[in-house]
Amino acid sequence: MGVLVVAEHDNEVLQESTLNAVTAGLEINAEVSVLVAGQNCGGVVDSVGKVAGVSKVLSCEHELYEHQLAESLAGLIASIASDYTHILAAATSQGKNVLPRVAGLLDVAPISDITDIQSADTFVRPIYAGNAIATVQSEDTIKIVTIRPTTFDAAAADGGSAEIVSIDPHDDKQDLSQFMGQELTQSDRPELTSARIVVSGGRGMGSSENFQIIEALADKLNAAVGASRAAVDAGYVPNDYQVGQTGKVVAPDLYVAVGISGAIQHLAGMKDSKVIVAINKDEEAPIFQVADYGMVADLFDVVPKLTESL
Amino acid sequence: MTYSAPLQDMEFVLNELCDLEGVCSLPGLQETTPDLASAVLEEAAKIASEVLAPLNRQGDTQGAKHLDGKVVTPDGWKEAYREFIEGGWNSISFSEKYGGQSLPYLVATAVQEMWHASNMSFALCPMLTQTAMEALLMHGSDALKQTYLPKMVSGEWTGTMNLTESQAGSDLSAVRTQAEPNGDHYRLYGQKIFITYGDHDLTENIIHMVLARTPNAPEGVRGISLFLVPKLLVNTDGSVGEPNDVRCVSIEHKLGIHGSPTCVLAYGDKEGAVGYLVGEENQGLVYMFVMMNLARHAVGVEGLAIAERAYQQAASFAKERVQGRPIGTKSGDRVSIIHHADVRRMLMTMRCKVEAMRSLAYLWAGAFDKSTHHPDEDERLRQQQIVELLTPIVKGWCTETGNQLASLGVQVHGGMGFIEETGAAQHFRDARITTIYEGTTGIQAGDLVGRKLLRDGGAAAVMMLETMRKIEPSMADIKEFDKIYKQSLDDLEQATQWLLKAAMEDPQLPAAASYYYLELWGVVVGGWLMAKSALAAQKKKSAGEGDKAFYDNKIKTASYYAAHVLSGTTGLRHTIIEGSDDVMALQVEDF
Amino acid sequence: MKILVPIKRVVDYNVKVRVKSDQTGVETANVKMSMNPFDEIAVEEAIRLQEAGTAEEIVIVSIGIKQCQETIRTALAMGADRGILVETEEEVQPLAVAKILKHLVEKESPQLVITGKQAIDDDNNQTGQLLAALLGWSQGTFASKLEFTDDRLKLTREVDGGLETVSLSLPSVVTTDLRLNEPRFVKLPNIMKAKKKQLDIIPMDSLGLDTTSRVKILKVEDPPQREAGIKVDSVEELIDKLKNEAKVI
Ligand SMILES: Cc1cc2nc3c(=O)[nH]c(=O)nc-3n(C[C@H](O)[C@H](O)[C@H](O)COP(=O)(O)OP(=O)(O)OC[C@H]3O[C@@H](n4cnc5c(N)ncnc54)[C@H](O)[C@@H]3O)c2cc1C
Ligand SMILES: Cc1cc2nc3c(=O)[nH]c(=O)nc-3n(C[C@H](O)[C@H](O)[C@H](O)COP(=O)(O)OP(=O)(O)OC[C@H]3O[C@@H](n4cnc5c(N)ncnc54)[C@H](O)[C@@H]3O)c2cc1C
Repeated sequence: MGVLVVAEHDNEVLQESTLNAVTAGLEINAEVSVLVAGQNCGGVVDSVGKVAGVSKVLSCEHELYEHQLAESLAGLIASIASDYTHILAAATSQGKNVLPRVAGLLDVAPISDITDIQSADTFVRPIYAGNAIATVQSEDTIKIVTIRPTTFDAAAADGGSAEIVSIDPHDDKQDLSQFMGQELTQSDRPELTSARIVVSGGRGMGSSENFQIIEALADKLNAAVGASRAAVDAGYVPNDYQVGQTGKVVAPDLYVAVGISGAIQHLAGMKDSKVIVAINKDEEAPIFQVADYGMVADLFDVVPKLTESL
Repeated sequence: MTYSAPLQDMEFVLNELCDLEGVCSLPGLQETTPDLASAVLEEAAKIASEVLAPLNRQGDTQGAKHLDGKVVTPDGWKEAYREFIEGGWNSISFSEKYGGQSLPYLVATAVQEMWHASNMSFALCPMLTQTAMEALLMHGSDALKQTYLPKMVSGEWTGTMNLTESQAGSDLSAVRTQAEPNGDHYRLYGQKIFITYGDHDLTENIIHMVLARTPNAPEGVRGISLFLVPKLLVNTDGSVGEPNDVRCVSIEHKLGIHGSPTCVLAYGDKEGAVGYLVGEENQGLVYMFVMMNLARHAVGVEGLAIAERAYQQAASFAKERVQGRPIGTKSGDRVSIIHHADVRRMLMTMRCKVEAMRSLAYLWAGAFDKSTHHPDEDERLRQQQIVELLTPIVKGWCTETGNQLASLGVQVHGGMGFIEETGAAQHFRDARITTIYEGTTGIQAGDLVGRKLLRDGGAAAVMMLETMRKIEPSMADIKEFDKIYKQSLDDLEQATQWLLKAAMEDPQLPAAASYYYLELWGVVVGGWLMAKSALAAQKKKSAGEGDKAFYDNKIKTASYYAAHVLSGTTGLRHTIIEGSDDVMALQVEDF
Repeated sequence: MKILVPIKRVVDYNVKVRVKSDQTGVETANVKMSMNPFDEIAVEEAIRLQEAGTAEEIVIVSIGIKQCQETIRTALAMGADRGILVETEEEVQPLAVAKILKHLVEKESPQLVITGKQAIDDDNNQTGQLLAALLGWSQGTFASKLEFTDDRLKLTREVDGGLETVSLSLPSVVTTDLRLNEPRFVKLPNIMKAKKKQLDIIPMDSLGLDTTSRVKILKVEDPPQREAGIKVDSVEELIDKLKNEAKVI
């Protein structure tokens, strides 16, 4: 009995966060299987097969799973769950959507967004926007856990040679949920949660036009662009830019916060970054309490200058 | 520059000192329960901190403007006003009969504190509407009430009070505005100055309550009548019609409350402004006196509110600003200034006086509710006596203290306090008006000595002194509290006895002493309430109930008040008894 | 349709929580408590659906101590019709919450359950999904828009890459994200009216459900503190530090 990791993908590309989940799985047990459910997702299956440390890939191709809807995916996962001690996924919007539903089907209490594994049943997770850290122990026979990708290294994408097994779809009546469409943010920049450098803008940006200042800097640094909730709420940038307690959690080598005050909800999503730079005209802004390098200045003066000088 | 309502202290004062439960069981107020009051305070706190407080700065820097004959309020004012009236906050303690909420005045007072603390310039608008509504409710004819009250209660229209003229400020007997009978109404001619929200763009119509003289009225105070003058005439079907002959000539440039337009209003430039008599002719000032209690209390609450805001700001600044090292150390980390004893002194002074003022202002409100709703006639009268006695003290002491504390707030900030950016200076400037309008401190002091003390030969004062003697502060475990407390009551009693006697020798003596006498009352009543707070906190602690840290702090603050504020009564007594004849010692020519 | 809105009473989001010295949890005594902000969004959405004529009745449910009544009253003051408190002194974890809710759903037969995507205390983000699983209903998590068409619910979800739209069969469980709406301020007269609205209290024990905790909390600690760094005065200095000191660019 080993660990099952649920892969996240769009039928073409494997999400990097799955590699972090594999690492978490390997910390628990050397035998890690990965489920790839989808439609025409052979490429993903192949790439998972190469991930270092993965022993087995379960491939399940069916139109039911094309869009990763929780209603169908959860049934499939639950149907094979008894073969495993742990079911893991990354704590992404996908993982958070699907795994608790699996847990509900199996009468298991799921554990969300862990940052450390102390033993096979004991995990560490932040609560209260990271203002407290809880160590929790699961008393269920199957552990259903989402892991915070930024706190586990990514498993090497190459070097493995897993056995590939295809499994049958789970027979489900499927009128509960239908996929209608998606509006994904198009960007050539690195993905926010895995980028090495993130440049984020807050309400201080003042408008969506002004966000170009952030984007120009990000492009110079080959960085991803993030934002505070206030900036998203104001419509400067799309929702998937939000960093924080209830948005994305990032932990890049360098995080540049521009015109962001540093509310605890925002800090919850970025304070594990290796180096934090804050640019804010208010020297009292709480962001400076976590910044390694703070600059009290008008962002409209210094950010373009910074971009130019780099 | 945020504001967060001190809900815990407010609820403590309401419940432990002001008998909220008792007030909520009075006939006519039984819709309210302490739980409901707490829900009301919580929601009001949200509006205060999320809607009103963020506009306070804007109101100050932008100010109200007089453009092309129209008064324009600062950005955001209109939206905030809409939110405010749609939430039903305009008429919180007003009778349900006219669409109000019938909440006890006690609860309304706590809510008012939040409005004024978050944005006093804004809060003045509903406050004046409230006063105008009270005048109309108490004395207006049914027809006037029906036409005007519901729309004022809902906030669709606002109200103003038009007393002051350039020659008639403290002395309203000098009012000259003329009112000539004209069929079922009057035509008014004259100019009023300093009219708060006399014109603005928040609502379509504004209802002015105006003091004026009819043609054959007697000279002086007995010849003044009260009129209702709408900005726009109201048709018989209740719709708004033609503009009335009243206009805003200009607005004042002021030291503070920039967001609140202070208007010069011209009545009767053309055919005469249509006005309707409220009540009877020549009774205007009598009516004013009835309402004055509420209006003066409300200004006292402003003093408290600004002080609370200034305190919050000073405390947060003191935790951030790093300067110097702890005393007795030469090296090591620099600390934030809150670690310095003298900064602590300022913060403690602010804190304990704010708590004392809050207790006093709320106590007044509880007494007001009992004076108007208690089923027992004797009890109503007794409470009325307390209300009358305490009114000039609430107004005079809370506003003078408010000024003092807003000034301390600036001091805590150092140079940054003198610079406008921090906002500390705004509180200082805004507070300044509170000791002036609704009767200056001098007028309050005169009222206390003249009407409240001498007129009944000291009966109310003695009754209050007896009430205050009934507690033993040492039970709260504070060193020396009993001694200081007893001394302060003795000082007040001796000063009172002296005044009663001195008044018979020389009428200038009580007037010369009046300011200090008012201060003495404020400090002693504050001491009484701080002692009661400490006792209540001690009781809660012994019973193991509630938030121990909060109660501990209450006791410590009371202790500070005793040693730093209450202990000053002996000096005040001395000034009153020994110093009053020095006040008029020089001749006018000597100045 | 009838809408059931489960809400949780949590430490107010403005409060900086303190970990208890015995490491059993965070200090919640005498701390300002409020409705979980995501649940507030859920209540607001239900009320908007009622105002639009889509919903007839809104029932609020909370599970917890006696004081949760105040939180329910707030939802009633916002405009919900009645409340149910499942009262208990015990800590109730999401799975148990979902079981209790399932029980109430069977009793009340709502067409829609709307709740917050996560509670800002435990940050679990589980209850809606668990409930949907237990009921065998569709789930619309992290919703930013709801539209009802032909007996189905068209729902826009906030996902990692942007937005996704799904069509859900009814009944359904919806969990709210931040952009769904902006909750209203409570109106004073409605606070008074809320007092008179029906609020039933059911002792949790009387339900006969298995509500035991399956996740043991071993300890709760302070997070590692991050030290404040230095202030730099110029762009040149910043670049220099990032290149030569931090070596991140
Ligand atoms: C339930 C809930 C969940 C939340 N989740 C999140 C979350 O996940 N992520 C998140 O970020 N927030 C979240 N928040 C919101 C959070 O509380 C803050 O409101 C938000 O982070 C503030 O964003 P901000 O710093 O951009 O805006 P503000 O706090 O308004 O700060 C703007 C800053 O810009 C500075 N500035 C302005 N102009 C300039 C200039 N020209 N040059 C330099 N500086 C300038 C100002 O000094 C100020 O410090 C949540 C809140 C709640 C209630
Ligand atoms: C911003 C602002 C808003 C206002 N809003 C309104 C409003 O909405 N409606 C309205 O009608 N009025 C309003 N007023 C007017 C206000 O009520 C008067 O300014 C106040 O009553 C004082 O009158 P005065 O200015 O004429 O001063 P004066 O009466 O000239 O007083 C000058 C000084 O003499 C002292 N003094 C005067 N008489 C005596 C006495 N008998 N005994 C002892 N000392 C005395 C006073 O204490 C004061 O120190 C407002 C004023 C301001 C500045």
